[in-house]
Amino acid sequence: MVEEETIGKVWQADDGLHIDVRGLEAPEPMVAILQQIEKTTGDGPMIVHHFCAPIYLYPELAERGWGHRIVPGGDLGEVRLILRRKP
Amino acid sequence: MSSAALFLGGAKDRLLPASIPFRFFATATVFHILFWIVLFFAAQDVPTFTGGPGLVLSAIHLATLGVLAMTAMGAAFQLLPVATRQPLVHVWPARLCFWLFAPGTAVLAYGMAQGPAIALYLGGGAVSAGLLLFAVLTADNLRRAGSLPIVAAHGWLSLVALAGFVTLAVILIFDLDMGFLENHQSFAVGHMVLATFGFMGALIFGFSPILIPMFALSRALPARLGWVEFSLLGGAVGLALVALITGVWAVMILAAACGLGASGSYLWMMRGALQSRMRKRLGPSFIIIRTSWALLAIGMLVGAVVLAGAPIPNGITLFGFLTLAGWQLTFLMGILQRIMPFLASMHAAGNSGKPALMSELTAQTPLNIHTVAHFGALVFCSAGIVMNAPLLISIGAIAGAIGAVSFGVFALLLIRKL
Repeated sequence: MVEEETIGKVWQADDGLHIDVRGLEAPEPMVAILQQIEKTTGDGPMIVHHFCAPIYLYPELAERGWGHRIVPGGDLGEVRLILRRKP
Repeated sequence: MSSAALFLGGAKDRLLPASIPFRFFATATVFHILFWIVLFFAAQDVPTFTGGPGLVLSAIHLATLGVLAMTAMGAAFQLLPVATRQPLVHVWPARLCFWLFAPGTAVLAYGMAQGPAIALYLGGGAVSAGLLLFAVLTADNLRRAGSLPIVAAHGWLSLVALAGFVTLAVILIFDLDMGFLENHQSFAVGHMVLATFGFMGALIFGFSPILIPMFALSRALPARLGWVEFSLLGGAVGLALVALITGVWAVMILAAACGLGASGSYLWMMRGALQSRMRKRLGPSFIIIRTSWALLAIGMLVGAVVLAGAPIPNGITLFGFLTLAGWQLTFLMGILQRIMPFLASMHAAGNSGKPALMSELTAQTPLNIHTVAHFGALVFCSAGIVMNAPLLISIGAIAGAIGAVSFGVFALLLIRKL
């Protein structure tokens, strides 16, 4: 395995860690989000800016003990999710 | 699309009802068992098989249509709309496709095993209609897809090959009954090349750059190498057909060289995917997938040296077995055991919002039995072909059937949790 480089745009804001995966080609959005999940030591929230509902991500999140919620807001054509580690 | 659907990002549209992909997968597991059983009864004729009706031809089609194409269709109906972000316009044609293809495959396999000609016509007609409907649905999705050009290119190549091998299949079925072709063998080899490499080969090579990085959690693969592999694969299939039409052997050697190049490029990409992976433990399914890659390389090398005149006993039959059972069947069994819990978990999330854990949906013991038995089947059958020993093929077929039943137990336990 090679050294990981950050995939997607990642930034920290007051409301949590943001990751924007719009513009990435499948399966990189999923890889980018899981990369951040595995890096983080906290329980979230992690705000994901996506171009669609990432249905293939959900089983992987569940396997890692994380949940997801789609929330309104964001740009036109954006699907925004909030991810949190389940208690 | 309604505003609510827009809000969900079209997820509901792209996630088909679980019954669509799982009816294909469940049926593939049944045909998988039947394939090894029929191969057991065909063992006497396997080592020297060069074509023609009988149990061997029936077993081959139980594997190619019943398992390989059935799995590919189920996976494509579910994965393509998600990958291309273009939902199926209607779901009912996918159901119709299944109801044409699945019974058609059973009837056709019966007809090939020296059944009545009417079974060949009815089965062949239903299978052809199912495949062509699948082609229309896939073409409609690919036509609307704006992203993933390499996946789309492989998809188009597979559909062109599908049209070709179905056309040749219809001619061959009429010829089995009426006997009007002077060169039945060339038509059969052309059909095999288009179906094995043009259709299934393109689907496996085309979907792997999505599926393998998705399962291994690795970076997107280099597009340039993907285009090299695609060009070589298309060249190999095209040149093989030219060689069959013209009878120029040198062109077939060139086709084999292109096939080796395409396989090498593909395997190099897969190596890159595994090297850049984030998932540390790939799990047992990747033992099977990696073995299928090794058998792809071995099969292609066997084919090349046999073409070059190397004296491998029953070399052509060995090449066919390594390609169909060694590479393609093994690869799809690895993918199926990974994708079935994945899709089941996704559907559970769709129903309740709380996904079932993939690990809880996977019955590992039957899968482990399948893996050991499947590898044993491949070794015994390959040895039986080379040593001209039907007994070894019978032992291999029994091992394969045990593995297939174990896989069926895994599938049954999983489907019951849906």
